[in-house]
Amino acid sequence: MSERGGAAAGARPPAGRRAGDPLIRLFHVSKSYGASFALRDVSLEVRKGEMVFLTGPSGAGKTTLMKLLFAAERPSEGQILVLGRNIGRLQEGAIPALRRRIGVVFQDFKLIAARTIEENVALALEVRGRPPREVRGKAFAMLKRVGLQHRRHQHPPSLSGGEQQRVALARALVNEPAILIADEPTGNLDAALTLEIMDLVAAAAARGTTVMVATHDQALIRRYARRTLRLDGGRLIEDQPAGAAR
Amino acid sequence: MKAAFFQVLYFARAALRGLRASPVTSAVSIATIAVAVIPLGGLLVITGNMRALLDSYGRERHVTAFLDPQLADAQSEALARRVGALQGVAHVELVSREQALERFRKRLGAGALLEALEDNPLPASLEIALREESRSADRARGVVDAIGKLPGVDEVAGGEAWVEGYARALALVRSAGMGIGAVLAFATLLVVANTIRLAVYARRDELEILALVGASRTFLRTPFLIEGVAQGALGGAIGLVLLYLAFRLLVPQIGDALALFLGWSDPSFLAPRSLALVIGAAAAFGLVGAAIAVARTRIS
Repeated sequence: MSERGGAAAGARPPAGRRAGDPLIRLFHVSKSYGASFALRDVSLEVRKGEMVFLTGPSGAGKTTLMKLLFAAERPSEGQILVLGRNIGRLQEGAIPALRRRIGVVFQDFKLIAARTIEENVALALEVRGRPPREVRGKAFAMLKRVGLQHRRHQHPPSLSGGEQQRVALARALVNEPAILIADEPTGNLDAALTLEIMDLVAAAAARGTTVMVATHDQALIRRYARRTLRLDGGRLIEDQPAGAAR
Repeated sequence: MKAAFFQVLYFARAALRGLRASPVTSAVSIATIAVAVIPLGGLLVITGNMRALLDSYGRERHVTAFLDPQLADAQSEALARRVGALQGVAHVELVSREQALERFRKRLGAGALLEALEDNPLPASLEIALREESRSADRARGVVDAIGKLPGVDEVAGGEAWVEGYARALALVRSAGMGIGAVLAFATLLVVANTIRLAVYARRDELEILALVGASRTFLRTPFLIEGVAQGALGGAIGLVLLYLAFRLLVPQIGDALALFLGWSDPSFLAPRSLALVIGAAAAFGLVGAAIAVARTRIS
């Protein structure tokens, strides 16, 4: 099932990506707000099916880097290619199509309190104009995968933090995105719930989704032993391969 | 195509949810539109009836020729035939002195007043309908002059003065209506735009989330536009219902005065086409107001 594996070296065609092809590429990317730099000269590649941790102290640029990936921000310098699209040159109208292929999860869940959890998950399908029957079917299946199908008619505020994050994860994954971006997904959760969420994230990676998780949690990074990118002061100071002793 | 259909379904549901989510602001917006529609619709009713009167005047008796009281009946009939043969005349009806008195009595119901008279003071007359192409002021004047020159005709009342005065009054009411309409329309736009802006702010978080999961600008904005259209159409319809109730209550009260001063014997309410037009216009203003609101609010 896993499409991860040895990276094919050499020239790769831009279209028709194979397993192991880079889905995310940054070339000397900087992002500044006025005189202050959030990211400085960051270059990296993340291949299809890879799961990568992004770590570093607060203000290191983790969130900025993630925002660049789903075009919530544009680079000040350098080039970013995500799923073959150049983020710096992407037309405003092309952003939705890109985002439909990227699932995003936040520390604060970003669920709509006025809608049921099933409706929250369904949003990601509805924006694509999928038929109501398919929307309900897929939303239900996805909620089942995160173990919340029995609570689908409840509203987010009645759920625990861990459950809400599972809903957010279900919403992010229901379109079977090529990339999953999670910004401190366990920041509000205790240790047991953290593992519950991270196991779901790792399962998505095992299904072939490219995953990038920003976290402060060094124990988590050690536990999952995946490739780890360390940012500090906006610079990429370390790129530790998967399985490396820490 | 199919996707578009499901999106429309989604939009309609989202718009409905939006209206339900902020019932008070929506109600205020709808009420404002209704209040704006009442005077505008009222003006439409007035100009519509004035117009109808002018039309019927043009169709029926554009020119009346009063005959010499000395004329015998046979001579009057001969005169009627001559007038009927004139160019531009469509139809001639001879009204005898007795018929004239009868009509006068019926129209005014002033029986006692007339019975006090010993003689019938009314002359016989010819009621002349002009052909469609001769109804313009210039041509009508030509026909009136030709009739006036015929022997046995005492006086010709073309009714131009009255018609022109009435037409001017109609034009005045119309332009006043347009002025008032412009002001009310502007106010309506502002109210709808503000209501929708509030709705956009109230749903900011939701919009942000939708944008994150890949909602297009159209997808984010369309429900608000539908909301504007719904508010406009609903406000327009409610305004018309209130106007109709006012019309039904008011007309019996002032019907006699209308008949006497304006000649409206049976004023009519708006035709179905006008009703649709008013509701359509209100919906269009709702749409424009909503479009202004979403254009001025950054959604992304």
